[in-house]
Amino acid sequence: MSGSMQEGIFFQEGARPGKFFLITFLATEPGVDAAQVKRCLGSLWRTLSDLRTGLVEDLPGYPVPAGDLKVTIGYGPLAFKLSGTSAIPSELGPSNRFLSPRTSGGGPLLNGGGLFYEDGLIKNTATEAIAVQFIAETQLAVLRAFVETWKALIDYPGKSGAPATLYVAGHFQGFQRDDHRSWIDFHDGLSNLRSGPERENAITIKEDAYRGGTYLCFLRLLVDLPRWRTLSRNEQELVVGRDKLTGCSLTDVDASGTASREAGCPFAGSSTVVDSGNDGFLEPPLVGHPVLRQSHIQRANLQHSQNTSDPQSLRIFRQGYEFLEPSVGTPPFRLGLNFVSFQDTPRRVIRLLTRDGWLGNTNFGGAPIGEHAAMELLKVNAGGIYLVPPVVPGEGFPGEAIFQ
Amino acid sequence: MSYASPGNADALTPELATQWNQTIAESYEGLAEFHSRFFAFDPSAISNGVQAAVSWFGDPAEPAFCIDEDIARKLSDWGVKGRHNLHNEYCEYRVVERKDGTGKTRPKRVQITTELREYWVCIAMHDPTFLRSMCQSILGSSPTWESLYGVSDPSTLSPRDRQLRFSRLIAGHGNDKELEQSGVPAQPEGALNRDNVLFMTHPINGLDDLLYIVMFGAKPYARIVDGSRRPATKEQIFRAFGVEHLACRHADPTAATAAHQQAYEGRTVAFADPLGVYINNFSSSVFRYQGGPIPASWIQLSRGRQRLEFGPSDAESAFLDDITVVEGANEQTLTGGFEVAKRVEVGPLLRIGPQGPVQEHEYVDLSQDTRPIKCAEARICQQIKRLKDEYEQSHTFARTSPRMMELRG
Repeated sequence: MSGSMQEGIFFQEGARPGKFFLITFLATEPGVDAAQVKRCLGSLWRTLSDLRTGLVEDLPGYPVPAGDLKVTIGYGPLAFKLSGTSAIPSELGPSNRFLSPRTSGGGPLLNGGGLFYEDGLIKNTATEAIAVQFIAETQLAVLRAFVETWKALIDYPGKSGAPATLYVAGHFQGFQRDDHRSWIDFHDGLSNLRSGPERENAITIKEDAYRGGTYLCFLRLLVDLPRWRTLSRNEQELVVGRDKLTGCSLTDVDASGTASREAGCPFAGSSTVVDSGNDGFLEPPLVGHPVLRQSHIQRANLQHSQNTSDPQSLRIFRQGYEFLEPSVGTPPFRLGLNFVSFQDTPRRVIRLLTRDGWLGNTNFGGAPIGEHAAMELLKVNAGGIYLVPPVVPGEGFPGEAIFQ
Repeated sequence: MSYASPGNADALTPELATQWNQTIAESYEGLAEFHSRFFAFDPSAISNGVQAAVSWFGDPAEPAFCIDEDIARKLSDWGVKGRHNLHNEYCEYRVVERKDGTGKTRPKRVQITTELREYWVCIAMHDPTFLRSMCQSILGSSPTWESLYGVSDPSTLSPRDRQLRFSRLIAGHGNDKELEQSGVPAQPEGALNRDNVLFMTHPINGLDDLLYIVMFGAKPYARIVDGSRRPATKEQIFRAFGVEHLACRHADPTAATAAHQQAYEGRTVAFADPLGVYINNFSSSVFRYQGGPIPASWIQLSRGRQRLEFGPSDAESAFLDDITVVEGANEQTLTGGFEVAKRVEVGPLLRIGPQGPVQEHEYVDLSQDTRPIKCAEARICQQIKRLKDEYEQSHTFARTSPRMMELRG
């Protein structure tokens, strides 16, 4: 089943992801089989394909702005448990999955890792059979796609005469920032893989039955902003590994604990590393100081490997979106990151998050868990891994052959 | 500038230090076509530099990309045969076995080494007594001269004779043409290093290969995209020089691309002192014993982080297969060294100079294809498939008598 990469994965040179994001998780009704899901997804895919061109089923003849909507569909382990589906790819096996939350709530995302579910969380929404990602240039376009999905699934039994097949189990929204920063005020995503071959070689399934496709990893990460703000600027910079204002990488730490910045950064006449002329400063340099070796940006690419096609490089292509949502208490909101990554095998993420020196045994960066200086900044609200099969000519929707 | 013993593991005499540095220098001179301003032989020539580890995972990559990881585990854990055929990521291991209370032979510990063959051969040539003390520090007892050299008194031999004899029994030929022509086999015939992993013997895990791959990478290889220059990809670099078969392994592309990245930024790299291959990381927290972390005493790093012994001591009743390894939501019994090597990151330490300008004429512009290299089609895969067939034949149920079957191998 080899084919081309689905849309909504912006790995190509010059490609820019849309500004808004929504991911929804679809669950199967009890007792449904592969054939029923195939028909239901075929119907849903037609709805979504129309929506890409602005056609809304309930507004025949009155198209709406499509917002450059991109739709990506993925399948988790539960999809392969339905009667009549293809064998589950080995890459979706137990060793490439996250742990479930404890029945009492919370618990580790992975043994050997430093991420934990939020206290009290007992249900991980991002483990349902199907994930559908919407990316568009307008918020309305992704919200509409979600609502039209809900309508299509609700309406489907009536149209087909069949019982309900799929339902919306949950969804998460996000948006892109135009300042290249995250909620902790630091620049984010600067040392992501370069667009083009570096990304393509890291994300494309090469040998398997789903050659040309990829695997999506989703983590809904809550950021403890009040705790982060208890750190001084210097402390924050040592945890991240960058200058808070300019984004320049830190290269050394003196005896007083003060960090030095990469020489010549940012380029004369510019103010931050995202300004023109600073491409050479985006990727952090190799550093020797143990505190900086533990910083987030150094751990995220410990070996500074450009050998991206090798899964052991642990390089992944990130395409995350921030979020802010209302909450009760202080602060009266929750915020964080919809971490979305693509890779040729989920092993890259699992190992990245569990290997010592990388992000193993650390929550975000800095000292390992258990050490005095360790800090817990992130909590996991949901997490899952999905096969994103390639687009194969002749199929009604990506992955249709799974349900033959 | 003089390189110390790898890992500062041994206090070399001035004579041995000279000989070791001569060995390194000869390897460097043998790679004259790869000399460039982006690689310095002498790390002290780099001012304002930083020291950083370049690491890759220690499990054999070739059987995994040729077939799959399950086969890679089985073949790599296939005793000395697995080691001699497959342990070529600068990380060799063996599993120590012991009998349990019921008399059953079970895996007890994994011994891993990253020590360079050339260093040991150098010592063996020039100071047999020093060599024997190194062996004793690892084995806990002093080996016989016969086991090391095949004679009762190596002091009467010339350095060349010692090299030949030690290589035949302990070190193998290491792709040294003269040793090969003298009839030294690729892997040692004697039991001492086969049974104890004193140091690496796979011919690819050599000093010259280590120097080669870093020096090979240390050039500002570039590609032109829409009229502007960008770093060449790994695929382009290995294609351009007809060494695609190296691009699928862990060690070579990691070392080469690390050096390339520095050179592209106008930095000079050198091997930091001491030159060696080190165990830079070990993710031990994925191993569990009786539902909790493994005892700290089960992780013994020695020889300046060139040697790892993992597992319970002989004095303890536990065995290696009492340990589980957790990956994702999967927990399985630890049965061999492959799963340990997978969590070990090995590699040299580099000294890296400050960023500087790269002159236009220094760029090496490449136009090769950037598509992934088809690793499963590498020539080495034929050899590995034959090894798999051999493994399966020796592990199949064989009829030994009417109505009786037993597992061979």
